[in-house]
Amino acid sequence: MSAANTHQSQSTRFLFWPRRGSQISIFEMAIFAGCIAVAMLGLSQSLKDIAVLTFLWAGLALAWNIAGGYAGLISFGHAAFFGVGAYTSTILFLRFGLTPWFGIWCGGLIAAGFGAALAIICARLRGPFFILSTLAAAEVVRIAAMNWASLTGGPEGLSIPPVAGVTNMVFASKTAYAVMMLVFFACVYVVTKSLEGSRYGYYLYSVRDDADAASAAGVNPVLVRTAAMALSAGLTGIGGSLFAQYFLYLDPTFLISPDLSFQFALLAAVGGLGTAIGPILGSFLITPMSELLRSYLGSHAAGLHLVIYSALLIVVMLYFPSGIAGAITRIAGRRGKS
Amino acid sequence: MTTLGQLVLSGIFIGGIYALMSMGLTLIFGVLRIVNFAHGEFLMLAMYGAWAITKMLGLNPYFAALAIVPAMFLFGAVVHQVIVRPALDKPHLVGVFATMGLSILMQNAALMVMTADLWDVPPIFGRSVEVGPFYFKAELLLGFAVTILCSLFLQWLIRSTYLGKAIRATVQDGEAAMLMGIPVPRIFLITFASGSALVGLSACMMMPLFSVFPTVGLNFVLIAFVIVVLGGMGSIEGALIGGMCLGVVQSVSSYYVAPAYGQMFYFVLFLLVMIFRPNGLLGQKGAATIGIND
Repeated sequence: MSAANTHQSQSTRFLFWPRRGSQISIFEMAIFAGCIAVAMLGLSQSLKDIAVLTFLWAGLALAWNIAGGYAGLISFGHAAFFGVGAYTSTILFLRFGLTPWFGIWCGGLIAAGFGAALAIICARLRGPFFILSTLAAAEVVRIAAMNWASLTGGPEGLSIPPVAGVTNMVFASKTAYAVMMLVFFACVYVVTKSLEGSRYGYYLYSVRDDADAASAAGVNPVLVRTAAMALSAGLTGIGGSLFAQYFLYLDPTFLISPDLSFQFALLAAVGGLGTAIGPILGSFLITPMSELLRSYLGSHAAGLHLVIYSALLIVVMLYFPSGIAGAITRIAGRRGKS
Repeated sequence: MTTLGQLVLSGIFIGGIYALMSMGLTLIFGVLRIVNFAHGEFLMLAMYGAWAITKMLGLNPYFAALAIVPAMFLFGAVVHQVIVRPALDKPHLVGVFATMGLSILMQNAALMVMTADLWDVPPIFGRSVEVGPFYFKAELLLGFAVTILCSLFLQWLIRSTYLGKAIRATVQDGEAAMLMGIPVPRIFLITFASGSALVGLSACMMMPLFSVFPTVGLNFVLIAFVIVVLGGMGSIEGALIGGMCLGVVQSVSSYYVAPAYGQMFYFVLFLLVMIFRPNGLLGQKGAATIGIND
């Protein structure tokens, strides 16, 4: 609350302008350089595939974290925004021949609209009630997508013709996709980082930690929550469009499944909620692990990778509730003291 | 008119069975203030148990309840000690994600062990019961009767026994209850285990009507969430009423609109309740909006 107060009385800088804690650290530069190296290196196709997915899920976990971690809006319905983004860009391309380079923005905008609507509908709800409502809302979107066959292709889904070309946003090499996903991920990271130090970021913290106090200090909690949800949903929608361009096939039972919603949340939660680095650590640790396990174990043990993944989640949540990022900070702090 | 009557009555009966499945969830939420996201997987586990007993011993699933209910009580107790209890004194997120993790764990463990195949048990009575102009599956009527008995028993337990008094005291003010000598952690344990035992019972009632597969829990847990929120979290009568409302909405809309949209209707119903009456029909005041779990 005090943070919101001081910032209100201070300057009139642009709302989103990063103010402090937003300098790029050596650690971040090292991670980013490592990512570029992975994207560019001549790795095998299957490893490249893992890199593409790791970057995409990292971006999506970061996007989820804006609502879930910074604003305290735990959503188990983000797959709906993901699906809306994917469907929008794909339908615009297949029906109207609009290039996905334009379509992804439309997808992001429409998903942001859905996010804002959901936040307004659930404005009064807290805790488990909010979570369950987001889950229900995503189910409504999924059932609509399954049954509105004239628009979405129904349960058969939609396919994007695999014709490589820059205007189609379809590439032959996985390197191009890895770079594309890395750019997405880096953009979401920059948005998150600038949020952290901005006035709006402080609004988010204040509303998350004590909505009554925030509102007494002149912050409108509904507006702040709605904006956070819209931003998070919009970025998730863009991620959905990019996913569609990579897989070239939209399957509504996967795109808008509760499982996918949980995945966004779990990556962020394992990494550390409400930190910029947490979702990245979560995705970098879990995505390659689960993809590698899946490819090694194959059909012998369907589901084993998810068993390991969820067991890890339970342990992390119970013993390190602030995630990997929190655990690292704690260990580093202890070392600093001794 | 007969069609509509048939639909409404079948809806009420199937809703009763859904209500039985939801009672454990609402009981656990009412007392521990935790939403067990693995509730559906508890149901899945118990359904597999009922199926296995039916298959191996040739007993029918109703007799399997004699083994499944105590087994689920124990299972619930173990889960409570290992996962739920350590999460209780942490932010509510921890409980959400820990039970969510358990749900994914159980789902995929089932996928590994049982594969994705659908299993079911042969019909038990093999014929319908005729009541006036209406026909009902005998399994459905039996399940409904068990639900009613169960809810009466729970009401009695909570209103008239010492255990019930201790549970109510814990709900009203855990700290004061503890100071009065009520072993609150043990009350939590018993509640969670009883909630799981109730799921076990409902699994045995559902096994003759539905197939079991690893993700069966997800379908039903969504229904259970809708019912529990509709009736008001923590209310047993609420779960019964919520279940019947949902059953009627589902059966009527599946017939008149399309089965696929039936599901959509109850999620829309859920969102409407959340918007206009967030505490449910019979729920604790302010439960949804003041964030008792924070």
